[in-house]
Amino acid sequence: MTNKIRVFASVLALTVSLSALSACSSGNNGGNGPGASASNDPGAAVDAKDTITALLPPVSANYQSNFDQMETDFNKLYPNLTLQIEPASWEDITQKLDTQVNAGSPPDIAFIGSDGISKYVEQGMLMDITAEATSDIIGDFDPVPLDYMKNGSGLYGFPAYMSIHALGGNKQFLEEAGIDWKSVQQNGWTYGEFREAIKMGVVSSGGATSRYGFVFATSGVTAKDYLNILIKNAGMPAAFDKDLKYAYTSQNYLGVLKAVRELIDDGSMPKELSSVDAGKRWNMFLTGQTMITGKGLATFENSAKTNNKKIEAADGAVEGSIPVDYVVLPVPTFAGADPVASAAVDGYVTFRGKKEPTEEHKANVAKAAYFLASGKIAATTNTELLVEQITDSGRAAAESLTVERDPDNAAASQRLQSIASPARPDIPAELGAEAIKLEDEVIIPKFQALLADEITPEEMFEALKKAAVEAFGEDGVVTE
Amino acid sequence: MMARLARIVKKRIVSGDGGWAYAFIAVALVVFALFTAYPVIHAFMISFQEYKPLGSTYVGFDNYVHSFEDELFWKSIKNTIVYTALTVPVNLLLSFGVAILILPLKKWLQTSFKAVYYLPAVASGVALSVVWLWIFDPLQSGILNQAAAFFGIGNQNWLGTSATSMFSLVLMAWLSSHGTSIIIYLAALIGIDNSYYEAAELDGASFFQKLSYIVIPFMKPTTLFLLVTGIIGSFQVFQNAYLMTGGGPDNATTMVGLLIFNNAFKYFEFGEASAQALILTVIIAIISFIQFKFLGNDVEY
Repeated sequence: MTNKIRVFASVLALTVSLSALSACSSGNNGGNGPGASASNDPGAAVDAKDTITALLPPVSANYQSNFDQMETDFNKLYPNLTLQIEPASWEDITQKLDTQVNAGSPPDIAFIGSDGISKYVEQGMLMDITAEATSDIIGDFDPVPLDYMKNGSGLYGFPAYMSIHALGGNKQFLEEAGIDWKSVQQNGWTYGEFREAIKMGVVSSGGATSRYGFVFATSGVTAKDYLNILIKNAGMPAAFDKDLKYAYTSQNYLGVLKAVRELIDDGSMPKELSSVDAGKRWNMFLTGQTMITGKGLATFENSAKTNNKKIEAADGAVEGSIPVDYVVLPVPTFAGADPVASAAVDGYVTFRGKKEPTEEHKANVAKAAYFLASGKIAATTNTELLVEQITDSGRAAAESLTVERDPDNAAASQRLQSIASPARPDIPAELGAEAIKLEDEVIIPKFQALLADEITPEEMFEALKKAAVEAFGEDGVVTE
Repeated sequence: MMARLARIVKKRIVSGDGGWAYAFIAVALVVFALFTAYPVIHAFMISFQEYKPLGSTYVGFDNYVHSFEDELFWKSIKNTIVYTALTVPVNLLLSFGVAILILPLKKWLQTSFKAVYYLPAVASGVALSVVWLWIFDPLQSGILNQAAAFFGIGNQNWLGTSATSMFSLVLMAWLSSHGTSIIIYLAALIGIDNSYYEAAELDGASFFQKLSYIVIPFMKPTTLFLLVTGIIGSFQVFQNAYLMTGGGPDNATTMVGLLIFNNAFKYFEFGEASAQALILTVIIAIISFIQFKFLGNDVEY
């Protein structure tokens, strides 16, 4: 009896240890993916079978429920190709992707922000599809968003949409404060006008403020968004000017930093701003604790409408919320600079594995990326998100779709889209990486301290200037 | 000679219980080798490289030199030491206090309290952080701000300013997750033989005399164990800062654990992250050694 148990136990022990080993090795094999293995067949004919893998998050509300349809449609279009979609949530897509990238076996296509491209280029894990993107394909895209998918001379995927980071206002409060929001939508506003306007929006009694003029999410890394949309409108659309000199050492930058403090010191923004996160400020907007909020995305109009309906039906609306008409507002301009809308381009980025992909596989991946980024899929997704179409094929497909959208907001969004900050693929990767490092190590920490009133704008500016000169040299930075 | 030795060794391993013993520890050994030993060795190798998925390059001691020259690395070490110094002793004191309070209770009540105190250890750290974020709400409506207002303290931007962000994380540590320490203390307290108390009572000892002459000396091994593991755990702390403050403002709450995580998974600098992780390992080893050297002398197990 004891012998039996002993034999059983050792068999069990061996099985467990072997399965641990085999789980590891099979994980590696699986990681290489069918796309990668298919790509390593040099003798493959043009219409040889191939599988393209894509890692996709829930881009819009119904996006992920259409995956089966997308796979079927793609296979109908290219009978020899199979599109294999792996769904991911927004929370874990970066982690999933990074794990696969660092193991040397990423998916062929992943949906990410274009600001992530430089990081993966530096690792050598992106696939340049310049040669595979035919003139027909290139011609379908609007040039500004397409440029965001470039880095140096390479094209690393296709854009899905360009979302504009603007501000959002409560129509009723704006009107009560005597702000001609229609004129602001059409003509923009200067910092001076903005400062006065948000002062008018403040409601307080006995030292306690029940409504602020303006609340922007600045907690943690979102601090970066706030500063970036402001400096774009202060004559610094990118970290480097046309001569590739570091731009944030300009006096205009200091002006923006001073403005950030002024708005808080005026009492128009909460002094606890540095802890307000994205969820908190949207809650403050819906509950009437602020007149204007940021950053504002086009889709917020939908979120506000949905909540209004819930209030009407007394069914699950945000606690304490009031009916809100969302108004798209531009960011104010500083020191007479031209208005520039801060744009975020997300899209289908093309990756490569450890082994060099074949020409056929590259072409197939480009086909799949284009399929996802244009036509019907782009039309439905972007309509759901209330963002503008950025492909001709998408615009054509969207004609039949109805959009329930406030006409003033739509016009304002289109105007902002037309002044969207252009991508800067001319900035060399090393300079770009150095600027990102400065942003992470100096700008964000110091800006958090500035928001918390622990340092002055001048101190932050000096710290940045010192670090910038160290990084780029006296001649590498803007001085006036 | 060698052949004979090999035969003896072989005989010992195969015959009797030896062979079985190796079969049984095989599982643990394989798991340890795969998931502990191999990663540590690999990290050691990576720490001399600039890691790239398509082929790393050897950079010698660059990663170590860079870490030692990095102001942020030293700041994060300082932050970690401050956090550890503020949390670990207070946590031990609180756990000990709670364990003493639970000890005289009836068995079922003891178990209930143990379960209640252990519950946060089971709960997801993310869920707990969400609750704490809600408590630390910076506006006047925030729970902690309302509590502070009751004592006449003005509105605080708990997690948003350097002055209070570290304290906020420390407060969070003080008020949560003592479950494990309480259970260990309680087990040790129950292990003290009743005859000591009876003898002390015969001599007319008060509660505090019993505490200081019986309980505390008996608790010394337990306290040393909890102190060492507490400090090790605290040096590796990462989750709270990551979820609550992201290391901000102005890196006032960037702990070494968070810095290593950021270097590895945000900036893909696995070489530097591995170097810093190994430096951290050495620091923890030195501190643990010192503790055993100076506190462990008269501990009897």
